[in-house]
Amino acid sequence: MLSRRKAAVALGLATALTVSGCAVGGGSGASDGTVTLHMVESLTNPVRTAVLKTLIGQFEKQNPKIKVDLISPPTEQADQKIQQMLQSGSGIDTMEVRDITAGPWSTNGWIYDMSKDLKGWSGWDALTDNAVKYSKDAKGRTYYIPYGFYGLSLYYRTDLVSDAGFSAPPASWDDLLKQATAIQDPDKRRYGYAFRGGTNANSNAVAVIEAYVADKIDRDNGFKLTDGKTIFSAPEALTALETYFKLFKKASPPSSVAWGYPEMVEGFSNGSTAFLLQDPEVIATVGESKSITKKQWTTAPLLTGPSGKAVQPVATAGWGIASASKHKAEAEKLIKFLSEGDAATTFDKKNSLVPILKSSADDTFYKTGAWASYVTMTESPDTYITVTQPRNSSWWTEWIQKSDSEIQKVLLGKMTPKELLAGWNTYWTEKWKSQ
Amino acid sequence: MNPSTTDAKARQAAPPPTDNPGPAAARPAAPRPRRPVFTGRRGLSIAAFMAPAALFVAIFVYYPMIAGGQMAFRNWNLNDLTDTSWVGLKNFKGILDDPVFYTVLGNTAVWVVGSIVPQFVIGFAIALWLRRRFRFRGLYQALIFFPWAISGFLIGILFRWMFNSEFGVVNDLLEKAHLIDTPIPWLADPKTAMTAVVIANIWYGVTFFTIMILAALQSIPDEIYEAAALDGAGKVRTLFQITIPSIRGTLALTVLLRVIWIFNFPDIIFGMTGGGPSNETHIVTTWMISITQQGDYGKASAVGLIVVAMLMVFSVFYLTATRERNGKTS
Repeated sequence: MLSRRKAAVALGLATALTVSGCAVGGGSGASDGTVTLHMVESLTNPVRTAVLKTLIGQFEKQNPKIKVDLISPPTEQADQKIQQMLQSGSGIDTMEVRDITAGPWSTNGWIYDMSKDLKGWSGWDALTDNAVKYSKDAKGRTYYIPYGFYGLSLYYRTDLVSDAGFSAPPASWDDLLKQATAIQDPDKRRYGYAFRGGTNANSNAVAVIEAYVADKIDRDNGFKLTDGKTIFSAPEALTALETYFKLFKKASPPSSVAWGYPEMVEGFSNGSTAFLLQDPEVIATVGESKSITKKQWTTAPLLTGPSGKAVQPVATAGWGIASASKHKAEAEKLIKFLSEGDAATTFDKKNSLVPILKSSADDTFYKTGAWASYVTMTESPDTYITVTQPRNSSWWTEWIQKSDSEIQKVLLGKMTPKELLAGWNTYWTEKWKSQ
Repeated sequence: MNPSTTDAKARQAAPPPTDNPGPAAARPAAPRPRRPVFTGRRGLSIAAFMAPAALFVAIFVYYPMIAGGQMAFRNWNLNDLTDTSWVGLKNFKGILDDPVFYTVLGNTAVWVVGSIVPQFVIGFAIALWLRRRFRFRGLYQALIFFPWAISGFLIGILFRWMFNSEFGVVNDLLEKAHLIDTPIPWLADPKTAMTAVVIANIWYGVTFFTIMILAALQSIPDEIYEAAALDGAGKVRTLFQITIPSIRGTLALTVLLRVIWIFNFPDIIFGMTGGGPSNETHIVTTWMISITQQGDYGKASAVGLIVVAMLMVFSVFYLTATRERNGKTS
């Protein structure tokens, strides 16, 4: 009887300890010296995950003592998931760090500064100036190595533009308004512009404003003018937004108040809208469209403001290491592998990203078809000005939600563009003051 | 003298209540008193068996509840955790001062009432229909229960495309039926966006009522209906005087559960509108998620506590009201 009781107690305690062990434990080393790296990606999609797995396979072949366990949460929840893993300090060695997450994650001490370890790394010389620039924060610390860049270009329907009597695609926002209005015909279910009124509506609204203040914009902070005031305080900002909202009223589908990324891309891919402002990753998606042929569309450089200049807000992401990782050396090896040579080129090409390697400048892939507009923009840096937006501010996500919601208010007639700009000006002025 | 103090003293003076009123010798046939359960080794064994479950609940239920609850009183922002000091009721004040909170409360009321009434009526009607015996009843049951197996977020995404103004099947069908001339921007217009998300939720939630009510209906003996038929009761009278009174308890509990679940169900709205346009479809829980996405876990936890308080108050009132009604009818 006694032994049965003892057995019951032992069983209970063992189960309890197992449960508690499961909750807090986790390991990544093996007795034969093999190390398993836990890698988490953020901007997940099936094609990209497949490419990443192939590259990881190549890395594992070169490094038989290192295994990589790739975790691919759904994009919508990925950053929050990574955040939770980083906060708990376990189960994550290397992960995708975005320009918008690098700031808060480094502030909290969750990601590792690789600058000392990467001193003398041969890969630096092969990276473009932009890749080197974005590898370091304002204090020179390296929290991630970018794998590629996102930048806007104008996707347009060549056939619809010529049918409407225009000989060239729009070069400026005013041109776009004119052409999109001419093409718009709701009775035929044909619309001019794939307006972004839903998630991330702020990005395109800010792009218009930046184009209108291009001559006096602070290149290191795309939300600031050279005199230190916000871009939203400039009189040109109001003209910019008035043009932009006319584009919604005269030349966009009414439901685009709620359009986010999927609806915009679908609207262009299924042939119902003539113009779309998007990142290069859409080249691959539109290329697979069955509604429009490859001859019916291409891209044009980003639209300019009244001064003839456009402002390209650069967005990027890359690979970084968790501060709590016990296998930093192995993680660094993986990051170097992904940031060099064929692996870096393959990743950028397959995911339609602006490349990080200098050698890509000679690659014909980036000079033809829809990529040609990016070459034009790269070759004319004074016309297509590259700026850094304050995307690493700790309040960036708060700003996105606030600005998106307010743009919808303007579209629904509940707020005027003037009120919108006044609110944004106050918001950023106060945020910078409180820093 | 304070009456409550007197009562307390009286309770202390009185002998403890017991199942054994007299001395054991006076009642030779009385059963042996039961041994207290949690004593000695027996108690240790029971505790050991309970330990895994208790630990599991403590780790996965109580710890997150306490951890989340205390965040509501701290400056807990994931974007900067270098200062997580106690801030008292600041997060709650921020919520009450935010006009969006009141929009969100109104939306939540529309969302809950607009969803639950049609869900209940349609679910009840389907359950009554499925109670009868007919060919392929099992197949119909499976088809009707199917939506319950799909993720709410996925349903949201499906309905988002169905309600798309330009490419959606809803406008297409309405136009083909000559009910509309121009497409309705369902999710872009604040006047129609809430209707669209409620329709999606009705489609999803009817199933739950059907399952629960059907199970309850099957517990009513056929003899009662036969007796009612012999007495000449019509269908309506049978429904209100036999069916509904017989399953009143299940109905009350099902409605309570659904109110709590619908109140706490952000999935469909998140998939369809993300709370837009301009916060017009945000309910309390979608708003709470949007705050967590900003990293402000302190404010989001405060919203969470407000939700818990509201649902507790509702549950108490609802259970009291339904119990009183049950008491009067019984």
